[in-house]
Amino acid sequence: MSKVLITGIGIISALGPSARENHTALRKGICGISLPDYLHSRYAEIFPAGEIKITTETLKSRLNITDNSVTRTTVLAAHAFEEALDDAGLSREQLTSPNTALIGATTVGGMCLTDELYRDANDKGMNSPFLDSYDCSSVFLYLHKRYKMNGLANTVNTACSSSANAIMYGARLIRLGMVTKAIVGGADSLSKFTINGFNALHILSPEICRPFDSNRQGLNLGEGAAFLVLEKEEDARNKKVYAEVKGYCNTSDAFHSTSLSDDGEGPYAAMMGALVSGQLQASDINLINAHGTATENNDEVETRAMRRVFGEPPVFTSTKSNIGHTLGASGAIEAVYSVFNIINQEVYPSLHFTDIDKNIGLSPATTYGKLPIKHVMSNSFGFGGNCTSLIFSES
Amino acid sequence: MFYIHQTSCISPQQTFYNTAIDDLETPVNNRLHAVEPAYNDMPKNSLRRMGKTARIGIGAAMPLIKQVEGFNGIIIGTGNGGMEDSVIFLKEIIEYNEGLLTPGHFVQSTANALASQLSLASLNRGYNITHVHRGLAFEMAAIDTAMLLRENARNCYLLGGVDEISSYNYKLECLDGWYKKEDISSGGFYSSNTTGTVAGEGAVMLLVNNDKYNAVAKVVNISTLHTIVAMKMQQHLQQFLEQHINTNIDLLLSGENGDSRLLAYYANAENLLKNDIAVARFKHMCGEYPTSSAFALWLACKLISGVPLPAHMLKKGDSKTTYSNILIYNCHKGVQHSFMLVSKTE
Repeated sequence: MSKVLITGIGIISALGPSARENHTALRKGICGISLPDYLHSRYAEIFPAGEIKITTETLKSRLNITDNSVTRTTVLAAHAFEEALDDAGLSREQLTSPNTALIGATTVGGMCLTDELYRDANDKGMNSPFLDSYDCSSVFLYLHKRYKMNGLANTVNTACSSSANAIMYGARLIRLGMVTKAIVGGADSLSKFTINGFNALHILSPEICRPFDSNRQGLNLGEGAAFLVLEKEEDARNKKVYAEVKGYCNTSDAFHSTSLSDDGEGPYAAMMGALVSGQLQASDINLINAHGTATENNDEVETRAMRRVFGEPPVFTSTKSNIGHTLGASGAIEAVYSVFNIINQEVYPSLHFTDIDKNIGLSPATTYGKLPIKHVMSNSFGFGGNCTSLIFSES
Repeated sequence: MFYIHQTSCISPQQTFYNTAIDDLETPVNNRLHAVEPAYNDMPKNSLRRMGKTARIGIGAAMPLIKQVEGFNGIIIGTGNGGMEDSVIFLKEIIEYNEGLLTPGHFVQSTANALASQLSLASLNRGYNITHVHRGLAFEMAAIDTAMLLRENARNCYLLGGVDEISSYNYKLECLDGWYKKEDISSGGFYSSNTTGTVAGEGAVMLLVNNDKYNAVAKVVNISTLHTIVAMKMQQHLQQFLEQHINTNIDLLLSGENGDSRLLAYYANAENLLKNDIAVARFKHMCGEYPTSSAFALWLACKLISGVPLPAHMLKKGDSKTTYSNILIYNCHKGVQHSFMLVSKTE
C-alpha cells in the first residue's frame, strides 16, 4: 500500500488567515480568544470565543466570491482550501482530475445563518438567497464546483471529530488506490445556533478556557477552517513533503450523547487503534495534540485514557487554548498544527494552565521548546461518542 | 464490493413486517410518509426523545441488531438527519430571544445522533460514522463500507441510509422549487410535464460482509459523479458499463421522479442500455429524498431474491420472475449522480 503524504496545508483561525501567521502565533504563545465582535448573539458579551476578526464580506472580496448564497462557513473553507492548493502547487489539471477527491467536514454548515434559516423555514417574508446553502454538504459542493473538480466528493459530520474523519477517509481512499490525491479538511463558523446549544449544555466557560487545569470551567467556541493536500507517495516525488498520515482509528464510546464514559473506552480504543494502524508502539509517540476542550468531563477522561495507553503519557498540549473549539474544523486545524510540530521539531505552549487537577495528575507542556518529534498523535472526540485518533509522522 | 446478508426497511410502502409492494400507498399532499411500526422493542422514554430520523433508523435496525451476534461498525448516510431538531431548536433560540433553553433538541440536531444511538442500542464500540453528502450520502457510506471490508476482510458492518420529511425542510425545498405545486396524489406522477416531485422518506438498514455464502445479493460496483451536463453523465455511465461488459444487466431501476428538469439524465441512462433491458421506477413508492437510492438498493435485493416486480413499477419491457443483474441510476437535483450495480450471488 502507498504511503499517504501531506504536500500542502491551508488554515484560517483566530490566530490568523494563513499557515505562517498561525505558526508564528503558536510559537509566541498567543491566544486568539476574546469576546466576539461580529457574532450576533446576546452571549457575545458573556462568552469569549476564537473569532476570526475579518468580516465575511472582506473575505469574500479577497477570494473574488460574488455569489450571494455563500455563507461564512463556506468562505472560511474556500480561504483555507486556496492556500492549501497553492502550497501544494497543484496544477489545474491535477486539481480537476477524476483521481483527486475532496473530503470535507462541518457541523454547522450554512446554519451559521441562524436568523435567515428561521425566517426561511417559518415563511417569515421573502425567500433568502440561502435556500440551498443551509446543509453541511453545501460548503463542499460549492468548493467542488468552484474549482471545477471531477473526483469523488464527500461531506462527513461526526460532530467535533468530523474533520479528523475526513482526513481518515481521504487517506484510506489513497491507501486503497481509489484516488491518487485527496484534499481533506473542515470548516465551521461561530453562530447563534451553536453558542446557544453549548450554553444549554452548560459547558461554555465565561473565562478564557484552561485545558487540563483544576479550575477549568468549560470550553470556548472558535471558528476556522483547514485543508491538507494528501498525495500518494509515488505522486509526491521531487515535491516538498511535510509529513505522512501514518495511522488512524475511529471508534464509538457507546456511552452517552454528550459525555464520555468514565474510563474513556472510546478514546482508549481510538488511540490504540491508531497505533496498530500505524504499526507503532505507544513509546514511539513523541507528542499528543489532545482533544483538550477544557470541559470537566473531557479532560479528565481523555487523560485517563492516555494513561491506559501510554502509562506515563508523552508531552501533550491543547491548542484549543489558543483558538477555542472549532468543532468540525478542529481535527483538520490540529492536523496542520501537528505538521508544524513535526517540520519544526518544536512544542507550542498549552496556554492558561496553572494548577494540576488532582483527578488528572498531569500537566500539559506550558512553555515553548525544541523536541525531537517523529510521531504526533492528534485526538478528536465528538458528541455521540465519535472518537478518532490520527498519527502524523516525519516523512 | 460486498455481499448483503440481511435487509430491513421502513418506507412509505409495506416493507417492514413483510414485503407487500404490489399494493401501492399513494402520496397525501405531495408527501409520502413512512409507515411506522409499533416499535415494541424500543423503550418508550427514549422513543419520545428521538427525532424521526433516529426513530425510523433505529426501528429499521432493531431486527438486524437482534438477529446477529455482533457487527464491527455502523456506517450511516443521511442528507437531512437532524434538520427537524435543528430548526425546532433555532425556533426556540429566536422566540425566547436566546433565553434559557433545554439542550434536548440541540443534542438531537447533530446528524450523527442516529449512528450514535445505534451504537448505544447495540453496544457497538467499533467504527462509527455519518456521511451527509446530500444526494450521495448513502453512496459515500456504502463506499466507506466497501473500503472497511477491504481493510478488514472478515468483518461485518451495519450500513444504513435514512432521511425524514421534516416540515421545515419540506418548506425550504418547496421555496426552492423542488416539489410540485399541483396536487398529483391521484396519479400521473411520471407523465406530468412540470418541475418538482413529491417528498419522501425512509430508513434502510443492511448487514454486509465479504461472505458469498447465503448472501441475498452482491453490490458489484458503485460510482458517483457531480455534474449538470447531461453529456458528462452519459460518458460516465458509458465507462461504467464498459467495466461490466460481461455482465448481462436485465433491469434498470431508474430514479425518475416526475421532475421535467431531470428527464434528460434518465433518458440518457435508458438509451445507453440495450433495447431489451426492462426499466422500472421506484420514486412513486418512496418519494424523493437524499438517500432514496438506499430504498432502490433494498428493492433490488428483493427483486433478486424472487419478489415479483409489481406492475406499477414497470416502465418498459416485460417483467421476469427473477433478476440477476440490476443497475440503479439515481440523480439528485440534477447535480449528484449515482450508479450502483447489484447482482445475484452464484
